Amino acid sequence: MEHGYTIKSKPIYGALAWHDKATVHLVIAQSQGGLAVLKLFEQMQPKQPVRVLYAQQDTDYAKTLKKVVPEGLDVLNSEQELLDVLKSIMPTMRMGLRIYIAGSEGFIWSVAEAVKAFGVENADLMKEQTDTLARTIYCVHCKAITHNITTNIGKCSGCGRMLFVRDHFSRQMGAYMGLMIDAESPGELPAIEEIYP
Amino acid sequence: MSMINVKVVAIEQVTPLVKHFTFVKEDGSSLPAFSGGSHVVVSLDIGGRIHRNPYSLMGSPMENEAYHISVRKQENSRGGSVFMHENVTVGMPLKITYPVNLFSLAKKGRKHILIAGGIGITPFMSQIADLNRMNANYELHYAYRSPEHGAFAAQLKEKCGDHLHCYIDSQGQRLDLQALLNDQPLGTHVYVCGPNAMVLATLDTARNLGWPENHIHSEQFLSPPTGEPFKIQLARSNIEIQVSAEMSMLEAIEAAGVEADYLCRGGVCGRCELDVLETDGALEHNDHFLTDTEKASCKKIMPCVSRAKGERLVLDL
Repeated sequence: MEHGYTIKSKPIYGALAWHDKATVHLVIAQSQGGLAVLKLFEQMQPKQPVRVLYAQQDTDYAKTLKKVVPEGLDVLNSEQELLDVLKSIMPTMRMGLRIYIAGSEGFIWSVAEAVKAFGVENADLMKEQTDTLARTIYCVHCKAITHNITTNIGKCSGCGRMLFVRDHFSRQMGAYMGLMIDAESPGELPAIEEIYP
Repeated sequence: MSMINVKVVAIEQVTPLVKHFTFVKEDGSSLPAFSGGSHVVVSLDIGGRIHRNPYSLMGSPMENEAYHISVRKQENSRGGSVFMHENVTVGMPLKITYPVNLFSLAKKGRKHILIAGGIGITPFMSQIADLNRMNANYELHYAYRSPEHGAFAAQLKEKCGDHLHCYIDSQGQRLDLQALLNDQPLGTHVYVCGPNAMVLATLDTARNLGWPENHIHSEQFLSPPTGEPFKIQLARSNIEIQVSAEMSMLEAIEAAGVEADYLCRGGVCGRCELDVLETDGALEHNDHFLTDTEKASCKKIMPCVSRAKGERLVLDL
């Protein structure tokens, strides 16, 4: 890729840090995102109420989190379970809530989608990417979403086309644009390489 | 900048200090469509000197036969608002810019809290038309000095019904911002337009309660402050210009025949931003656009409202 080239839509994730002003903090993490939560609590124990939702996976920080987060911690067994708990507590939240998310990009945007239904906008969320660079892709041909693509070219789960994974990202869909790589010369594929491990 | 030729078709004294003007296009055709919260800049030739003042459009965005603005007569006017009040008459032709919106409603908002102080009600008049049409969840909190200063209170009551909350200062009624913003549902946006103290208090209260920045909206057109006269050099035009005490830098640049970009002329939009090539003195940044860091760097200035002290200020224009 050309040096100095950037695409505005590609999200750039930072590191979690507490907002000074809030009425409630809601920290949502998955797998290695637990480490990001531990780093957050190293910064300080906030004076406002904190709620932490953690989905444990391969890497498990649940034990340490239980020591560091004195109250308000929920350890869940899957992303789905976490999203269910999240949806059950969101109706009680009011303006002044600050949300922090740490996990894979797929996880981050699943959470973003879940809270959007409660009026929380993408720009309101603090996000830290952990675990993997795997991408969710949106097929511009059949509109199917395919998760966990780790290679430059991925197979569409909807239509089976081989899709080139672009940097062009949709916050609305939480996915990168994928477009047919061999449209002009069917069957001719460049080398497929893992670049989003 | 391309302008629209309009003529004044009605003038109404709404309060002791506020006049309402209705414009139609001089050639009788329709005016450009606009969205709630938009403003136009009205150009006034006052004794050969061009004044350009921004005013919010107050009519419904659904109606493009006429534009409506309201002008408060400013005590420390540099001439613009007094001229509008005393010299502009029905039938008079005027030039205005195309509408620009620097104060639009957040389309994703679940609830909208509009806070107006005095003449700050004007941008909300067109937004209310949009909110009513969208059947949106909103509250309008309108604070003013005394009953006779409640411009449009009756009209608003009719349009907004229970959405309207009035606070009349002379009757000891105060808007409690903390109580208002303390317990609002997620997805609420707050919008404020009014005197500086009210705008700052609203921003402070919302921020202290942890509201995300993109849920907080304000608009406050500044009049260019007067000050000591100073000189500027325009590097590309290769001329030196004297900025008098009464004039803004932008007006002095325009008076010298140099074309400069602008939109709001009130320190809000950032369009007139100029690069400072050299300066030997303090810049008086009066705008709401540059960040504190940018202001401190002395590399940029907004000539619509800012001034300079010192002998030398070279601008990239």
